[in-house]
Amino acid sequence: MSRLRAEHLYKVFGRRPDQAVGRLEAGADREELRAQGTTAAVIDASFEVEEGQIFVVMGLSGSGKSTLLRMLNGLLEPTSGRVLFDGQDVTALKPRELREVRATKISMVFQHFALFPHRSVLENAAYGLEVQGIPREERDKRATEALELAGLKGWEKSWPDELSGGMQQRVGLARALATDADLLLMDESFSALDPLIRRDMQDQLLELQKTLKKTIVFITHDLNEAMRLGDRIAVMKDGRIVQNGTAEDILVRPATDYVASFIQDVDRSRVLTAGAIMEDTKTDAAALGKDGDEASTITAETPLHELFTPFSSSDDAMIVTDDSGAPVGVIDRERLLAALGEEPQVDENAAANAASDGGAETADGAKNSGVTARA
Amino acid sequence: MPEFHPGDWVESAVDWLQKHLGWLFDFINTVLSGLFDAINAVLGGAEPLLLAGIFAVIAFWLRGLLAGVVAFVGFALIDTFGLWSEAMSTLSLVLAAAVITIVIAVPAGIWASRSKTVSAFVRPVLDVMQTMPAFVYLIPGVMFFSVGTTPGLLATIIFAMPPGVRMTELGIRQVDSELVEAAEAFGTQPKHTLTRVQLPLALPTIMAGINQVIMLALSMVVIAGMAGAPGLGERVYAAVTQVQVGLGVESGVAVVILAMYLDRMTGALNARVSPLGRRAAAKASAMMGRMRFARYKPGTAVALCGVVVLALVAGGMNIAGSGDEGKASAGTNVGKGQQLNMGYIPWDEGIATSYLWKEVLERRGFKPNLKQLDAGPLYTSLAQGQTDFQTDGWLPTTHKQYWDKYGSKMEKLGSWYGPTSLELTVPKYVKGIKSLEDLKGQGKKFKGKIIGIESSAGEMKILKDKVLKDYGLEGEYKVVASSTSSMLAELKRSIQKKEPVVVTLWSPHWAYNAYDLTKLDDPKGSFGKGENLYNVARKGFAEDQPTVAHWLKNFHLKEEQLTSLENKIQDAPKGEEQKAAADWLDEHKGFIDKMAPVPGGKKKQGKDAGKAVNVGYFPWDEAIATTYLWQNILEDRGYKPNVKQLDPGPLYTSLAQGQMDFQTDGWLPTTHEQYWKKYKDRLTDVGPWYGPTSLELSVPEYVKGIDSLEDLKGKSDKFDGKITGIESSAGEMKVLKKVLKDYGLDKEYKVVSSSTSSMLSAIDRSVKQKKPILTTTWSPHWVYSKYPMKKLDDPKGSWGKGDKIHVTAKKDFKKDFPELYGWLKDFHMSEDDLGSLEAAIQNGGKGKEKESARKWLDSRPGLIDKLAPVS
Repeated sequence: MSRLRAEHLYKVFGRRPDQAVGRLEAGADREELRAQGTTAAVIDASFEVEEGQIFVVMGLSGSGKSTLLRMLNGLLEPTSGRVLFDGQDVTALKPRELREVRATKISMVFQHFALFPHRSVLENAAYGLEVQGIPREERDKRATEALELAGLKGWEKSWPDELSGGMQQRVGLARALATDADLLLMDESFSALDPLIRRDMQDQLLELQKTLKKTIVFITHDLNEAMRLGDRIAVMKDGRIVQNGTAEDILVRPATDYVASFIQDVDRSRVLTAGAIMEDTKTDAAALGKDGDEASTITAETPLHELFTPFSSSDDAMIVTDDSGAPVGVIDRERLLAALGEEPQVDENAAANAASDGGAETADGAKNSGVTARA
Repeated sequence: MPEFHPGDWVESAVDWLQKHLGWLFDFINTVLSGLFDAINAVLGGAEPLLLAGIFAVIAFWLRGLLAGVVAFVGFALIDTFGLWSEAMSTLSLVLAAAVITIVIAVPAGIWASRSKTVSAFVRPVLDVMQTMPAFVYLIPGVMFFSVGTTPGLLATIIFAMPPGVRMTELGIRQVDSELVEAAEAFGTQPKHTLTRVQLPLALPTIMAGINQVIMLALSMVVIAGMAGAPGLGERVYAAVTQVQVGLGVESGVAVVILAMYLDRMTGALNARVSPLGRRAAAKASAMMGRMRFARYKPGTAVALCGVVVLALVAGGMNIAGSGDEGKASAGTNVGKGQQLNMGYIPWDEGIATSYLWKEVLERRGFKPNLKQLDAGPLYTSLAQGQTDFQTDGWLPTTHKQYWDKYGSKMEKLGSWYGPTSLELTVPKYVKGIKSLEDLKGQGKKFKGKIIGIESSAGEMKILKDKVLKDYGLEGEYKVVASSTSSMLAELKRSIQKKEPVVVTLWSPHWAYNAYDLTKLDDPKGSFGKGENLYNVARKGFAEDQPTVAHWLKNFHLKEEQLTSLENKIQDAPKGEEQKAAADWLDEHKGFIDKMAPVPGGKKKQGKDAGKAVNVGYFPWDEAIATTYLWQNILEDRGYKPNVKQLDPGPLYTSLAQGQMDFQTDGWLPTTHEQYWKKYKDRLTDVGPWYGPTSLELSVPEYVKGIDSLEDLKGKSDKFDGKITGIESSAGEMKVLKKVLKDYGLDKEYKVVSSSTSSMLSAIDRSVKQKKPILTTTWSPHWVYSKYPMKKLDDPKGSWGKGDKIHVTAKKDFKKDFPELYGWLKDFHMSEDDLGSLEAAIQNGGKGKEKESARKWLDSRPGLIDKLAPVS
């Protein structure tokens, strides 16, 4: 059972949004609507996020990703469609109940940190708890803990304007963590940071995620970031989700030309793993393992860039094993180079997947779309 | 193009509102003037310098030491201008207006920031409020709320409101939308989003708005002076309309001081009240380093302590002060808090009478200061005018030297006791000695000693040089010089032991009341003739304080009265002399009324005594003169006149509305025709008291060859084709058009309308530069006595017959004030009387019109009974 599920979300700004949704469902184009002064920001978006997953929504600005995010916690009301969080329809809640959900179950981290300049670091981190009406002593304790988690121990009494950007975002993160909400919405949270600091923050988020196991929806326009963080990645274009899959799915099997052009500049050697490009011949591998003592083994998780050194010194193929050490395939030098040099080919199957995402009516269909797991 | 006048509807709407919504306006009136009165009671009641201290502490708290010092100096300066109470009235107006404005503007701004509809509605309303000329609603304000505080406050509120609303709306809208979103994302309720995020972050902008509100309020308060709002505005307005440049500048500077103080303080308030401001201030002071102490600001608690301490002192002084004033009831409050400086020589009769007068004057509402001085310094300070009067002038002998020296700079206000005498005195039990002659051969009895006083005293000199010689007592008696108190002690000791003693003494003296003594006769008259005790005042005192001078002149004490008073004071503990004098007064019932009769007296009160009369005037000299004259008369008759300066328009309007009761300066039938026509159904013409007046064009006398309106033809070059006129609204300006037509001058001359004060300044300038000028003037007017101006003849009679000056009143005036109506109906003034009254007021100086009119009235005994007879 997925934690968070979006079903056919539409968001249309402008006059008569309901009619516009009808027309979009009937196949009208986004440009057509724009000519009439209505803007379709999100069109028919459906997806699921499992417990403990980082779900990245990636797209260029104007693709509707931020709008999509804000529908998840009800900051924006969907024109059509539902958002189910733990089976509860967020869109159907009364304002008071919605505020309750936001206060306790869903927190948010913002692009430009959105720290309150008139509150100290501690007061900022404790803000969500203050809203819940938790007594000062307890909320200060919990906020201090959250700040410690975010790596800001000892900065409690400082003011936001005294901190660097990265530190400010740590406060933002601590503020989101302090409420113990299970769902974390992160809106381009690292985009405003310097590349090095951004990397630090990404590492820290992954580190935290190992222990906290939050369910996270992460918005970004940076594909490398998406690839680094995302257990699953949804690529958005012009309000629609054009592909929804793992990093490898997207890299190896881009669903559309758009996605393909998007991933051109990605450092494939860091994203692709041995498992993704190996020759899937268990028998060969087993054979290789038997007669050649020399044959070295690598796990399926190994990123390609770690294979460069061994292949530079040897022509021999390597055996790819799974977690248990059982051989699952082989890689030779030619295969490695081919994988790196390969122009991503649009995978009709993947596109069909995305399309079925969009059209799926049943839970089964949705599940199909979310073909899980790397390996 | 058909004409369209929505203004007509407005007028009928105003009428309708007045008829049907009077209760609402009364309510608004009560709230606004109540708020003003409350604030003014606090600010206006305190001791100026203490309040200045409080302001300084606030400045210190908000902006640091330098600002505190400057604030104190600024406010002290206002006090030295004598404009303190006006400034406090103005400050109260500003604060009252600002409080109401902020209470309305901030919520309105918040509402507008949250709703586009409200914002769209509010914006044009604010535009109207901000740009509609204030006079447009100031005058209707007078119709609804009468002259005074309320229309001024209301106009101020309307004018000051827009920036408050706008800046609040702007401030809230400016708050980073991501922050608002963040608040919402954490489930904040809308009201908490407002109070926890939007308002704190918008506060700097809102405070800037409040700063603007206060500054606009202050600028408007000056204009509100035209509607009779009290304070500096009234002063500025009066000064401008009466060409009192000096007073205008002083009032203006006071306004500027207030403005700067309010501006800097509200500006700095931001750093104290808003979290962002505090943050910025903390950062700035962290950057300061070495110079930090100069920027030291006391903490809120410290500053609060300072303010509270000063406020308590002020409050305490207020209570003590009001205790003093409590002595004079309304009917006997002659002095109205005027200060009098009294001096006394520490001689018993001086002490006694000085404290007696102090008590009496306090009961009559004066504030006498009593200072003990030696004879020399006392006379010097009288001569220099620092002391107003003293009661113990021994003339012609004892104080001869002082009188010779300063006599020309002082004036005697009658002798209250006399004759005094110098004498040698023995106790009654010393038998057989009744006269100085009896002393001869009795030296042994007295051990050859005469107990004297200070060797410097005049009496000792006479005694040694003359008396002893004349009676052949030299050699037999030795005069022992000591001091008055030793002499008295010796006397007392001897009396207790029943020993014979002879002392130098004088009458009056309390010793005669306390002991049985025999004054020794002086058949040869060697001690010389007795003296009289005079009240001696500085030069000009009788003119300044005719009432007190009159009391002093008629003051007399018998020896028995004086010695019993002296004795009472002698018995009282040191420092309670005044209480003893008060007790003595209470024992002698009716004495105070003989000593200091209240002018007018209670029996002469009018039939409507106690009734409030609202008298309006506009700043024309004869109006000022007669209005203040009648204010004095009415006060004497027990009425409670309120006097207000207004422009003719508002004045007639408020008369028609019944808010004013009467005014004395109605130029009818011509000059005020327009007002009379409009309101005559709602006014009463009480009758003329002066006339005829005349309107005319005038030129300086040095402009030769032009003596009549006819002479003006073809001479326009001389005057640049210009006639310097007065207010375009004035009746004279309208008549002038007809006059010019009659003489065929309308093409040749252009009438430049300005204001009376500008016209007078133009005359002043032209006369000084000996340039020709052609102006519209009228008679009676002081311009003819001050400048060499000649009136141009009007052979065709185009100006029409001269106006008469009428008393005009509200419709029900006769019914409401039958007695006063009768007085005013019979009121007449000759040109001489009016001239001398105007001169008296002009000479008395600005701000003392009432006192000058009082002096003028007091100098004409019986006049009040003629003008306001009571049966």
